[in-house]
Amino acid sequence: MSTSRITSSMIHRGVLADLNDIATRVSRTQLKLSSGKEILRPSDDPFGAGRALGLRSELDGLGQYRRNAADADGWTTATETALGTITDIAQRARELLLRGANGTTSPVERETIAKEIDQLIGSTKDTMNSTYAGRSLFGGTETATKPYGSASDAYLGDGGDIVRSVGPGVTLIVNTRGTDVVGDGTDGKLLNTLRDIAAHLRGTTPADSAALGSSDIVAIDRSLDAVLDARAQVGAIARRVASADWRLAELEENVRGLLSQTEDADMAATLVDYSMQQSVYQSALRAGANIVQTSLLDFLR
Amino acid sequence: MPISTFMGLHTSLRGLLAQQRALDVTSHNVANASTLGYSRQEAVVQASGALAVPPAGMLGTGVDVISYRRIRDGFLDLQYRAQNMQTGYGTARTGALEQAEMRLAEPGDNGIAARLNSFWSSWSDVANAPESGAARIALIADARTLVASINALDDGFETVQAQAAQELALLTGDGGALEGMARELASLNSAIRDFQRVGAQPNDLLDRRDLLLDKLSSLAQVSVTDDGAGSIRVTLGGAAAPLVDGSTITWPAPAMPSPGGKIGALMDVSSSTGTIAAYRAGLATFAQALTTQVNAVYSPAAGMSFFAYDAATATLSLNPAVTGATLKAGSGSAPGANDVAIALSELRGKPGGPDDAYAQLVTRVGTEVADARRTTLNATALKNAIEDRRQSTAGVSLDEEMTSLIRFQRGYQAAARAMTTTDSLLDTLINRTGRVGL
Repeated sequence: MSTSRITSSMIHRGVLADLNDIATRVSRTQLKLSSGKEILRPSDDPFGAGRALGLRSELDGLGQYRRNAADADGWTTATETALGTITDIAQRARELLLRGANGTTSPVERETIAKEIDQLIGSTKDTMNSTYAGRSLFGGTETATKPYGSASDAYLGDGGDIVRSVGPGVTLIVNTRGTDVVGDGTDGKLLNTLRDIAAHLRGTTPADSAALGSSDIVAIDRSLDAVLDARAQVGAIARRVASADWRLAELEENVRGLLSQTEDADMAATLVDYSMQQSVYQSALRAGANIVQTSLLDFLR
Repeated sequence: MPISTFMGLHTSLRGLLAQQRALDVTSHNVANASTLGYSRQEAVVQASGALAVPPAGMLGTGVDVISYRRIRDGFLDLQYRAQNMQTGYGTARTGALEQAEMRLAEPGDNGIAARLNSFWSSWSDVANAPESGAARIALIADARTLVASINALDDGFETVQAQAAQELALLTGDGGALEGMARELASLNSAIRDFQRVGAQPNDLLDRRDLLLDKLSSLAQVSVTDDGAGSIRVTLGGAAAPLVDGSTITWPAPAMPSPGGKIGALMDVSSSTGTIAAYRAGLATFAQALTTQVNAVYSPAAGMSFFAYDAATATLSLNPAVTGATLKAGSGSAPGANDVAIALSELRGKPGGPDDAYAQLVTRVGTEVADARRTTLNATALKNAIEDRRQSTAGVSLDEEMTSLIRFQRGYQAAARAMTTTDSLLDTLINRTGRVGL
């Protein structure tokens, strides 16, 4: 200090100001330690606080995308299960058709086979009416309606897409429409084919018998192909969902790391700071007590 | 010219009296060592008029106390008051801005950022299950909470403004601190002038007046002119007319174009064009962006708006017609349609979107609070440095006073001894002279 006279009030004020200053720093470090956060208020690091807001929003968004992906995964799994059943049905129908097409099969046996085909048509429609979390899987966006009624083979859903968003600007169509798998009873797809087969089995004309051995086999194979195509597509979607989820998990990890770097306190460094400030505080207290105590009065007799 | 036989006694008496006065002043200093605003004093002594003793020359006649001097540097006072004004301004401003910052509640789970996040997430949940009543009700609840927290923040900012306005009114209103100080200054002015008219130096009154000016300087920028006769004229905040002129005051206080100090900070905080008003404008920009961008997606599909923002009352509201039943998750009537919900959920974190507008507000508040705090710390450090220099001149050093005490005590003892010596000379003259043979 360049001043020549040092007065008692200067010493008092100086000691007090220093103690206050150190105590403020100690309490701030203590707060950092107890909260584990570097940024407790925006003013602690305005830029960091703004950045942390952005990162937190991104992290929340990524978590939401992962939940969306989980929902998409559930949807595709349910679709895949239903399509597996449809495949089994189509294959069973093909076996029955081959048995029915055999020239030695009696009309009574054909009627029995035709009845089983009728049953298969029923199961196909039931399977196509399956739901995921109460929503029809195969009815497009008409999720509250069963896509196939018992009265006719007509498709009651719509052509809408069920879309899940699995990343910023990344949307996936997760649904498969009934018309693409089993058709609407008039388009040569599974339902149409099964109806034809049943009719031919019950038919008595030679043309019926001929159809069973030729065009129906072609038709059932084509119908089976359509089902398998749909399954392949669902599989592709499932893979995309899985890879999106994997990428989201990785991103989430990165953003979490960045957020932690931005707003979490470096515990080791903070603890070192804390013990250093503590010792400075204690020595300031001791020095203050000593300076404030002594004056010339103590030495005059 | 003959010299009185008893002159030595008088000379010693003068010494005794002067040392006694100096001791009194020292005691006064010690007594006031911790008095706020006290300036140390000293007895100014001077050799009293000498007697001409021809042909030897001039014979000293002792010492006189000619005045009691107040040791103080007026230039340091000016510097101190300038810094004290900065400190007053900074402290009041930091306090108000910290309150605004506290109301943001960021970063945390209760701030608007968290509400905004759950609002966007709710749209995603609706997109995942557009048929679900529960998801819709959760979304409406989240939207209501978001609206309520945005409106609450604006109310909070308004409260900070109102509190500043109230504090300002208490300070500068009738019967407030400012009027009290002005009246006390005026009465001190007239008392000091009366003393100075009769040639006295009212040191302790001057200290009180200086202390009052110090206090006043934390409220506003003070400029002081001395009229030379003991009175001062005090002008506040660059006003056209003085607040105190001699023994009269101008009340209500003249308008201050550049107030500074605590008054300046409170005026800025409470003003409709000040710092907090700018935060409210930032919040309004955010609420407006939220309303516009959400409605731009929602309205065409639903045929009704989602949010409404009333700029005049700065109030955001949820369209009451939007309920769990009427909420549209997708364009068209199919229950599984979710394109609207997806588009809305993708507003999250969009560059130039509502999140951006809010983050800008938070960063701005944070920067200004940090800045205000730093400026205040600097001003306080400077003020303390000047106060140290001032105390170095005007403060009481107990060590020094103890030394003076011994010095004057010894001086007194020596003067008493000189008097005793003169007395014994006189004893020789009066009692022992001419007694030869007796």
